[in-house]
Amino acid sequence: MSALLTLDAVTGGYGDTNILQEVSMHVDAEEIVVIVGPNGAGKSTAMKAVFGLLNVRGGSIVFDGDNITKWAPNRIVQRGICYVPQVDNIFREMSIQENLEMGAFLKTGDLSAAYDCVYELFPDLKERRKTLAGSLSGGQRQMVAMGRALMLDPKLLLLDEPTAGLSPRYMEQIFQICRDVRSTGVAILLVEQHAKQALAFADRGYVLASGQNRHDGTGADLLADREVAEMFLGG
Amino acid sequence: MGFLELINFYVIPGVVLGSIYALGAVGITLVFAILRYAHLAHGDLATLGAFLALAVVTALGLPPLVALPVAMIGTAAVAVGIDKAFYEHLRERPKIVTVMASLGIALMVRSVVQVVWGVDSESYVRGIVRPENYFGLRIKDREIYTVVFMIGLVGVLQLFLVKSKWGKAMRAMSDNPNLALLSGIDNKKVVMLTWIIAGGLCAAAGVFLGINTELKSMMGWHMLLPMFAAAILGGVGRVEGAVLGGLIVGIAEELSVLVLPSEYKAAMAFVILLFMLLVRPTGLLRGKVL
Repeated sequence: MSALLTLDAVTGGYGDTNILQEVSMHVDAEEIVVIVGPNGAGKSTAMKAVFGLLNVRGGSIVFDGDNITKWAPNRIVQRGICYVPQVDNIFREMSIQENLEMGAFLKTGDLSAAYDCVYELFPDLKERRKTLAGSLSGGQRQMVAMGRALMLDPKLLLLDEPTAGLSPRYMEQIFQICRDVRSTGVAILLVEQHAKQALAFADRGYVLASGQNRHDGTGADLLADREVAEMFLGG
Repeated sequence: MGFLELINFYVIPGVVLGSIYALGAVGITLVFAILRYAHLAHGDLATLGAFLALAVVTALGLPPLVALPVAMIGTAAVAVGIDKAFYEHLRERPKIVTVMASLGIALMVRSVVQVVWGVDSESYVRGIVRPENYFGLRIKDREIYTVVFMIGLVGVLQLFLVKSKWGKAMRAMSDNPNLALLSGIDNKKVVMLTWIIAGGLCAAAGVFLGINTELKSMMGWHMLLPMFAAAILGGVGRVEGAVLGGLIVGIAEELSVLVLPSEYKAAMAFVILLFMLLVRPTGLLRGKVL
């Protein structure tokens, strides 16, 4: 069975320097995969490579049968990958509902089914849909950001450190939402700073260090691996 | 001096002048919010709009208010054309490059106006208009049109920004350009729409200045400073702020004659601009951009 997303020996970076060195990974349909690793390991960079925000100089990225290595982000969005950046991931001066509407900008026709689907995942947002997104708490902003990305019914959702700066309670909530999203048929690739919690909840994980693959396996296997554990004990 | 004199000779002309500034300031604030640079050719585009209307008025013998839509469409087309021919190529460069380029465009547009229509004063309609008397308030018809049209045009623009999909896309682009691109919003169309709106409103400012005073090739350039003062006073990026700012600058300019020699009238906008930048650069309504 071919994977939904496959990165094969991807090398690239911003400008002329290569941050990623032959990184390979894959995500199957309806799977939650987490990328962990120390600071500066190239976790977010790997995710940006998928979304066409990087100069990829070697290797290939294949999504659902299409080679998307050189595609522009707006084409990738249309193809079914949505990306939630770590910061500045909402429209602050717009209401929750308008944030969602902008997420579905490329969709024509009736949006009510998409709204219902998102509001079912995030009941908190439904009550406050006229509220300006910029006035929400950190956890709720993250929900708006994820909701915006889900409006286009993506097959794959990219989340860059969705729990950064959130309290443990919200972290658990975000992870639970990820499971709920997966159950609607969406695969998730996420970058996480909280490696232990993330590996415990994800199906599989990749450990990157210095822009290269270091380990991979199921979340449980990686957690049991001594070398991986040592890597994260310090940080 | 009585209360009625104050209203008739200072406040009413101030509101009319302020409405004209508001029309220009809204365009300036939109361009700043979406493209992130100060557009210095805005005044001269207003001049062009005023003279386009004059061409229609003299060629077809129509009243200036009927010529207004033609002038708005024409100026909007010119604004889009200028963007495509010049500013678009500078998009990736530091913004100051585009600001300087817009100064060059200002000189070019003004020169075209001078070559085509000359440097003498013109007017749409000859003769003196007497104000009507409303319970002691002396108001000319054209002053009513100016304020009503300003409110109408800005009202339609606000509705568009709040209700329509592309209006929301413009707000999204001003709010968070990166996220707007990640959401698949077409940057180029939003920019084009911005120029259509800014160009159209600019022409309206020029036509109403021409209706209330006279047409001169420097008319728009002289409005540039008060229009910028209005946009900054209201908070850059805020349409309703630009209207409020325009009215305040217009009324302040007219009232300044009470305490200062009238040659210093034009300095009022400069004083307001300096004061706001020093005390509250985000503007009265807390701008989104600065």
